[in-house]
Amino acid sequence: MITTSIFLLIASSFSLTYYPTKFFHLAHAATITFGAYFTYWFITSFSMPFGIAMLLAIAAATLVGILSELLVYRLMRKIGAPLLSYLIASIGLYVVLQNCISLWFGDDTKVINQSQVTVGHNILGAYITTVQVVTILVSVILFIALNIFLRYTVVGRSIRAVANDAGLSVIYGINSNKIILIAFGIGSALAAVAGILSAMDTNMTPTFGFNLLLYGVVAMIIGGVGSTRGLIAGSLLVAAAQNLAAYYLDTKWMDAITYIILILFLMWRPLGFSGQRLKKVEV
Amino acid sequence: MEYTLHLAILICFYTMLSQGLSLAAGKTGLISLAHAGFYGIGAYTTALLSLNFGLSFWVNLPIALALSGAIALLVSLIALRTVEDYFIICTLGIQVIIFSLMNNWMHLTSGPLGIPGIPQISLFGINFGDKIRFLLLSTFFVVFIWLLLRNLYNSAFGKILTALSEDEIYTQSLGRNVYRSKTIAFTMSAMLAAIPGMLYAHYISYIDPTSFTVNESIFILSIVIIGGMGRLWGSFMAATFMIILPEILRFLGMPESVAANMRQIIYGIILVVLMMINSRKQLS
Repeated sequence: MITTSIFLLIASSFSLTYYPTKFFHLAHAATITFGAYFTYWFITSFSMPFGIAMLLAIAAATLVGILSELLVYRLMRKIGAPLLSYLIASIGLYVVLQNCISLWFGDDTKVINQSQVTVGHNILGAYITTVQVVTILVSVILFIALNIFLRYTVVGRSIRAVANDAGLSVIYGINSNKIILIAFGIGSALAAVAGILSAMDTNMTPTFGFNLLLYGVVAMIIGGVGSTRGLIAGSLLVAAAQNLAAYYLDTKWMDAITYIILILFLMWRPLGFSGQRLKKVEV
Repeated sequence: MEYTLHLAILICFYTMLSQGLSLAAGKTGLISLAHAGFYGIGAYTTALLSLNFGLSFWVNLPIALALSGAIALLVSLIALRTVEDYFIICTLGIQVIIFSLMNNWMHLTSGPLGIPGIPQISLFGINFGDKIRFLLLSTFFVVFIWLLLRNLYNSAFGKILTALSEDEIYTQSLGRNVYRSKTIAFTMSAMLAAIPGMLYAHYISYIDPTSFTVNESIFILSIVIIGGMGRLWGSFMAATFMIILPEILRFLGMPESVAANMRQIIYGIILVVLMMINSRKQLS
């Protein structure tokens, strides 16, 4: 449940940046990490209360996401770069951001959760800590809120319009650059929340966001791009597979299992659950 | 002097790696993030064979080539069903699986502890433990791969690869087998990665999985991109630059730990800027 909800949050935040732009914004991983590390930084250096630190960190991480869109991707769109080069640029961006974190905070593991470890609540025979309850609640609420936002508000509808057909939505008077910027902002904020939550549950290193993001991406690909139920199914599948692997084999095989599922899935359905065609049609 | 030789040998390794990858990524347009995985397969194959069976480097060479070729063939059968972004994610997955096997298959690879005591290379009684001799040996392989790829690029097959990196459907309509050409290019590129892997294992005489991570794949890929996608000279120059860069930074007075991160930051920035400036020319 806990892993499912975090994956769900990451998958939905990532897909929010993916829908309107159609490329994998891998630097999103750095946003996740930034969220967690900024929280840590605000707490330790300015001794802020946790709530305020978290809000500031989310704001800061959102800023990182928005800046990467403004400074890199928008300029690339202007010259009409091919899709693959966005991906490579985002890898480069991720490398830069991740190493900034390493330089700043060091490579060692950091603990964000200062409260005492409690035994936790007994729910249906399983022990579960307060942090984990909060994680599940926050993720589910945010996910529902996001979907309502996408479905029923003007901006949300515009994001979906741009995702569907950028050219046509421009004709209808939607400023696609502005919409993409908003999508990046919301996506980055969600990613920061996911980063903070997962850093509270476990601990964090400068690279932990990348793994989390990849799980989210796998969940999104399996779930099929562009469907809410698909995202839930994908996250559930990935989380279930990981926990089963951890239970029956060993925790160390979790990564391998995740990717084996992805690869098997791509073999069976190269285009995801929804079966949508890629832009490049192979004859 | 010793240290300069060490750097020269590293440049040789990365020239081989990036030229090998440039066959797939640059020439054919198959941007692969699994290259460090195949590099690792080469290293582990020769390490295990020479320690467990006492085989020499020259016997291991064809075995490692065959093994990494076979795995690459298997991988390409799966990965080549997908295109573009999905292909990259797919190869990334394969990279993680290979790394996870190296890191966790304790019986075979002894996991994160690594494999120490890999013997030095010798041929006809000449020992290549000496740095100068090893550099000559590495240079020999660099020249070999370089000539091989140059001839390949100029051959009819090379032209097909260029054509399909630009337009697959058009190439197919000319009656070329696109899928098979891609498979061959990907497999060859992976086999070429095994050679520096083997040399690396014998040179350092100790290997552990941290040398073959996703970051390493990204690093090799960025050498290829900075070198100008599929240009052999470019790959060589970029590899030289990347290896010497941390030395320059250290010369400027940065401590070692900062220099390592700075190098990554610099190449990240170079990647982003390159993509922003002339991505059109680079990729399509």
